[in-house]
Amino acid sequence: MAGTLFRSMFTNTLSFYKCNSSNLRSLHTATVSYAARKGTRAKARAKKVKVEVTKVGFIPHNQRGKDKISKSNVSKHLDDTFKPLAKDDVYPLKYYSWIVYTAEDAVKAHQQTHHPTMYNVPDAFVIARVEMNMEAAKKNRFMDSFTRLSLLPHTFPRDEERTILAFCKGSELIKEAMDAGATTAGGTDLIKKIQDGQIKIGDYDYVVAHPNIITELVPIRGLMKRRFPNVRSGTLEPNLKDLVRKFSGGVQYRVLKDEHQENFGFVEVPIGRLNMEPKQVAENIEAFLKDLQSARPKRDGLFITRCLLLSPPSPEKLKIDPFVYVDKTLSKEVREDSDDEGDAVAATA
Amino acid sequence: MLALRSFLQSTVATAPSLCHQQTRNTFILKRKHPLPLHKKGGKPTKMRGRHFVYDLVEDTNIAKKPDIKVILNQFINGVGVKGDVLSLRPTQAYRDYLMPGLAVYASPENLVKYKSVENEPKAENSYSSPYVRRTLGRFSKLVLQITMNKLQPWTLEPWHISASFRKSGFIVPEYAIEMPPVQIKGPDLSLQDKEFLITVTINKTEKAKVRCRIHHWATGLDRLPWEEFHWKQPKEALIPDQAAELENMPLPQ
Repeated sequence: MAGTLFRSMFTNTLSFYKCNSSNLRSLHTATVSYAARKGTRAKARAKKVKVEVTKVGFIPHNQRGKDKISKSNVSKHLDDTFKPLAKDDVYPLKYYSWIVYTAEDAVKAHQQTHHPTMYNVPDAFVIARVEMNMEAAKKNRFMDSFTRLSLLPHTFPRDEERTILAFCKGSELIKEAMDAGATTAGGTDLIKKIQDGQIKIGDYDYVVAHPNIITELVPIRGLMKRRFPNVRSGTLEPNLKDLVRKFSGGVQYRVLKDEHQENFGFVEVPIGRLNMEPKQVAENIEAFLKDLQSARPKRDGLFITRCLLLSPPSPEKLKIDPFVYVDKTLSKEVREDSDDEGDAVAATA
Repeated sequence: MLALRSFLQSTVATAPSLCHQQTRNTFILKRKHPLPLHKKGGKPTKMRGRHFVYDLVEDTNIAKKPDIKVILNQFINGVGVKGDVLSLRPTQAYRDYLMPGLAVYASPENLVKYKSVENEPKAENSYSSPYVRRTLGRFSKLVLQITMNKLQPWTLEPWHISASFRKSGFIVPEYAIEMPPVQIKGPDLSLQDKEFLITVTINKTEKAKVRCRIHHWATGLDRLPWEEFHWKQPKEALIPDQAAELENMPLPQ
């Protein structure tokens, strides 16, 4: 009402000044639709996710929906903390959370079942099964499966044999490398043999070298391809003795990421034999877990989630606490230091 | 009009409140645009439309209620004994314990009332812990397989049985195991199809009999053939004295 009154008063004033009332339109201040800034539309277009339609070929009737079956909604990270701790001295384990053994006790328990009077396998492998949370530093990113080699403080006989080719100059170094466990060690004469085709690189599992021979190795680079010794893969080091020892005596393990649940990874690796002292096995577990921890992504929370000790043929799985050997979470300083988190993960992968 | 209102107010105020239920529909709100300050003793500023726009901070109606405490008034298998105070989710407490009359609210009066229960002489069918009856039930159905070597000589000892219990998911320390009256030695394939009883003492008070069978273990050509559903098949007693007792114990179906 006030508006119309004001409007009529305004027109009156205008007519008083002999102006055309139709000129009022120019006074109307509606929002003018300016074009969006140059970058805006391009940005919006870039933001739009391109939906790729993948053509699915014909699937026989009996094979349809197979991927749905294998996908399970149950998380593979088992958590039994909701179960109570036992108060009685005799109880069925089903109703309670798992017993957490010390590594020594777990080995002793396995020694019982593998005693000559029972399974009679006193030199059975002690296998560590470690489960991991494979989440990477960035959200919704996951680590890939990776392979590592770690040297354990107490070596034990294994089933597999490894062949190592070591390159170095000087008879002393060659002797050292041979003593440390290299299958073949040599200098320029060895390079010549490879060039002639007398020795095949493919016959060897690992190729290591001392830095003093690296210039002579360049001609056979094409033959070695990706196995050419370099610092990054840890096959080129001045301390050849320790290097060869690591490759000949270390355990190789592969952390596997689960196919359907990307944040679940696990590794099963022999870390000793039952005829070793339980303390030695515990030290091996410590070294192994510390090596595994070095592959940890720079993020908050747990990396190693669970650690079990197995020893076939016994079906027992005994849980041990991995956090007596390694830190549960990453310290804050380390997390803040790292700017190139993605690179660190890529290097370990 | 005014008189009517005052009359209504007076009657409502004097009449006893019919709704004893506590109202839980409190909404805690926050003004989106806070009111401007006014001078001390001055007139508050006029409230605009925007001053009546609120953000919801909390709806107490949907807030999670805390656990409630109840006191058991009888022994419940796997839960607790008479006088135990449990802390439970309200629904669970009401549906499973208060409604069937198995427990009462842990009010100060009830706490005093049930405190004296601890000193009472225990009933005959009570156990050393609420979980013992469940454990006894598990033992009654168990057929413990003791894996012994087929080629190496052995004498059955408590640690063999303790390790076999652990393998089949029971924690039984060695001191709780009472061996059968006869010494069992092997390897002896005539033991393979026999069974015997051992006695397990729970919490050093309750005794339970457990049915055991020995399996002779070997690999390769020496391996004994697999018997299907061997735990369901009745077997002969190793010790003649235990035969009657073993026959009375039910086998797992």
